[in-house]
Amino acid sequence: MNDELHEAFLDLSSTLTGYSRFRLLGTGQADPYLSTTREAVGEEVLAELLNTYTDVHRDAGDDEKALDTGLRARILSDRLLGPVARNVIKMWFVGTWYELPQEWRDVQATRGHDSTHVVSPASYTEALLWPTIGANPPGAKAQGFGSWAAPPTIDAP
Amino acid sequence: MPAPIDHAAAARTDYDVLVVGSGVSGAIIARSLAERGLQVLIVEAGPGEELSVAEYETHLTRFYGAAAKDNNSAYEVNPNAPMPRSPDVRRLQAGHPDSTSYLIQNGPYEMDSTYTRVLGGTTMHWEGKALRMLPEDFQMRTRFGQGRDWPIAYDDLELYYQQAERELGVSADVADQTFYGITFPPDYVFPMHSLPQSYLDTIIARDLDGTVVQLEETERTILVRPTAQSRNSIPNPAYDGGKGYVPVGAVSTHQVDQGDRCQGNINCVPLCPVQAKYSARKTLSFGVRTGRVDILTQTVASQVHVGADGQVSHVDYQAYGSTTSPEHVTGSLRATTYVLAANPVENARLLLASGLPSSSGLVGRNLMDHAYLLTWGLLPEVAGTMRGSQCTSGIEDLRSGDFRTRHAAMRVSIHNDGWSWPTGSPYTDLIELVDDANAYGTALRRRVADRISRQLMLSFMIDLPPEPSNRITVDGRYVDALGNLRPVLSYSLPDYTMDAVAVSRRVSRQLFQRLGVEDRTHYDPLDPGFVSHQGDGYVIRGGNHWSGTHIMGTASHDSVVDSHQRSWDHQNLYLVGSGSMPSIGTSNTTLTLAALSFRTADHIVSELTTRPSVTIEG
Ligand SMILES: Cc1cc2nc3c(=O)[nH]c(=O)nc-3n(C[C@H](O)[C@H](O)[C@H](O)COP(=O)(O)OP(=O)(O)OC[C@H]3O[C@@H](n4cnc5c(N)ncnc54)[C@H](O)[C@@H]3O)c2cc1C
Ligand code: SF4
Repeated sequence: MNDELHEAFLDLSSTLTGYSRFRLLGTGQADPYLSTTREAVGEEVLAELLNTYTDVHRDAGDDEKALDTGLRARILSDRLLGPVARNVIKMWFVGTWYELPQEWRDVQATRGHDSTHVVSPASYTEALLWPTIGANPPGAKAQGFGSWAAPPTIDAP
Repeated sequence: MPAPIDHAAAARTDYDVLVVGSGVSGAIIARSLAERGLQVLIVEAGPGEELSVAEYETHLTRFYGAAAKDNNSAYEVNPNAPMPRSPDVRRLQAGHPDSTSYLIQNGPYEMDSTYTRVLGGTTMHWEGKALRMLPEDFQMRTRFGQGRDWPIAYDDLELYYQQAERELGVSADVADQTFYGITFPPDYVFPMHSLPQSYLDTIIARDLDGTVVQLEETERTILVRPTAQSRNSIPNPAYDGGKGYVPVGAVSTHQVDQGDRCQGNINCVPLCPVQAKYSARKTLSFGVRTGRVDILTQTVASQVHVGADGQVSHVDYQAYGSTTSPEHVTGSLRATTYVLAANPVENARLLLASGLPSSSGLVGRNLMDHAYLLTWGLLPEVAGTMRGSQCTSGIEDLRSGDFRTRHAAMRVSIHNDGWSWPTGSPYTDLIELVDDANAYGTALRRRVADRISRQLMLSFMIDLPPEPSNRITVDGRYVDALGNLRPVLSYSLPDYTMDAVAVSRRVSRQLFQRLGVEDRTHYDPLDPGFVSHQGDGYVIRGGNHWSGTHIMGTASHDSVVDSHQRSWDHQNLYLVGSGSMPSIGTSNTTLTLAALSFRTADHIVSELTTRPSVTIEG
């Protein structure tokens, strides 16, 4: 895997999910998610997404407001990149790649595997939604007998 | 673990009893008879090579990897012994039956209840609520002028309820479960203590306990109580006169115990990863250990034959080698006594397909199931929703009272899994926050936690009395991959039940007002199960508590089985399970059908031992 792409994907993912690169790496899902995105949207769109993000990030410097504005202006509201970015968020949170919207597919004949699917059994159990709400994925990583009687521990971002 | 037996060997063996179906009702009968020396063969339509942990993990991986996690998603599609799946259910057009999925929906109401055809049956994915019925539920006609009376009373079943609570490993405390006429012997304790109530439950109890609800002339004061459940908790040392109780863990050929107590996986439906929850495989593995239970899986009972003497003479079967091919072999099996334990829909389907509607004509009729009304909203504070087992507490106070002359009774569950049943939460919440609310990053994290951890969902489980027009039939136009007739369902809800639906909505509003819950309930007219009643619309869900299709009674002209679940028409045939129940009240049906199975096993033993040819050991 190309290191630069990989790094850019992690940076983008960290901004989009609100979780640190370190935390994202800990799930072991960065590679599978990058591959899943590439297979669904193709090399060119993926490169455009990551390059745009790198530019936005560089232009914003340390200014969080500028990063937010840039991200919304150049990625999230972009007809091509917006839906892909939103899919990357959803993939991190629940481990599922959702089929891109019809409008996107009309414009951009998708390259490959774009139907809704769980990336892998591990991506389900590693999904970030569960720690976000202080719970465990149903059917995995249980918190132990009686743990549910206490208030939840939700890490405030 | 099923003892290695092939069909040829089984056909040569003289079995005392042939049991069709390896679910909890069949498993209890098989184990109970084998422990008393009888030789039993179980035929099971679904797959399940061994009672092993490895196979369990295959189910689990299939579940993790399934995009749509419905309650049968852990089980492979099997055209040879198909089962209903709730996402298959569609909105019906008046007058047009929907035959696109296994269960044909003839309407007028859609029904999204399911069951599971695999070794161990539907308890492989049941939720595990283990409730006794109220004494008044057995006397619906006498007490309330509705539905039917049972030929037996609560007191006749009490001892069998105790056996069922042992077999199903029920966790509860007597003090919590003594209400509205339910009684226990003076020194009785449940096998295990109650499961801890969830943090969500304690928030609800704090604000709801003491609320007064008016149902017709009946006034009820709400008390949130822990729910009796078949999942492992802390054993009660006082059980069985101080002998205590050893929880049953994972079943497996190699007996690796994967941890006994419930860990709060919140995944009892479709499958408990640590087997802390009871499934019939636990009972089956004890049965097999007697050396007197043989099991043939992937073996569909296809026809029941009756001889000139009115007795069942043999049962035809179809055995298939693979779930992906309809290729199969056929043959016949014989025993002294026959037990159909294939569940209410399949028992009726098999009898009707065999041309045995019973002399009363009631096979398949009087189908019951609980009608579920769901209401949901957001609590004013974080409640830690999505932790613990599906439900740890409920409200029992709307189950009993004279109002039952006017409208049905209901039982309320507090759901630890939030809005997942009505809305598909938490997935749908996440999608909405990302796609529509345009949230990302740390703001998204905060909003996800805020939206999901404050969810409250109540389910109202509403009684449905037996109506002859609610029924399972068969129709030569509809067959499965092996050529067996598929079940056709006709279903609607009487005013008695629909009035209680409206009352439930009203009570829910009152409870939400008391809790300060932002009501988010809405019923979509395009959803299956949408019903209008007195100007308001509701979505009614199925309760998965199929019952009544071989209803029990006091005489052959108006019932199918007697109080021992023996067919009035065929003396060596027993039809077991919730299909025999004349009413379902407001209790999930399994504990009661398990109690009935123990009672029937006693009866079969006493019948067979009066025959000189059988010797009973121990
Ligand atoms: C999602 C869900 C949640 C539930 N939760 C609860 C709960 O919390 N509490 C409760 O009390 N109940 C609950 N239930 C209901 C409970 O699961 C059933 O009441 C119970 O499992 C019925 O047991 P049974 O042995 O009668 O039938 P089943 O468990 O359905 O077993 C019947 C067996 O017969 C086999 N069979 C069928 N046809 C044939 C044939 N022709 N030949 C050979 N074998 C055949 C089937 O494959 C199956 O293994 C729930 C059900 C569902 C679906
Ligand atoms: S909550 Fe989990 S561990 Fe407990 S019984 Fe259910 S699935 Fe098993």
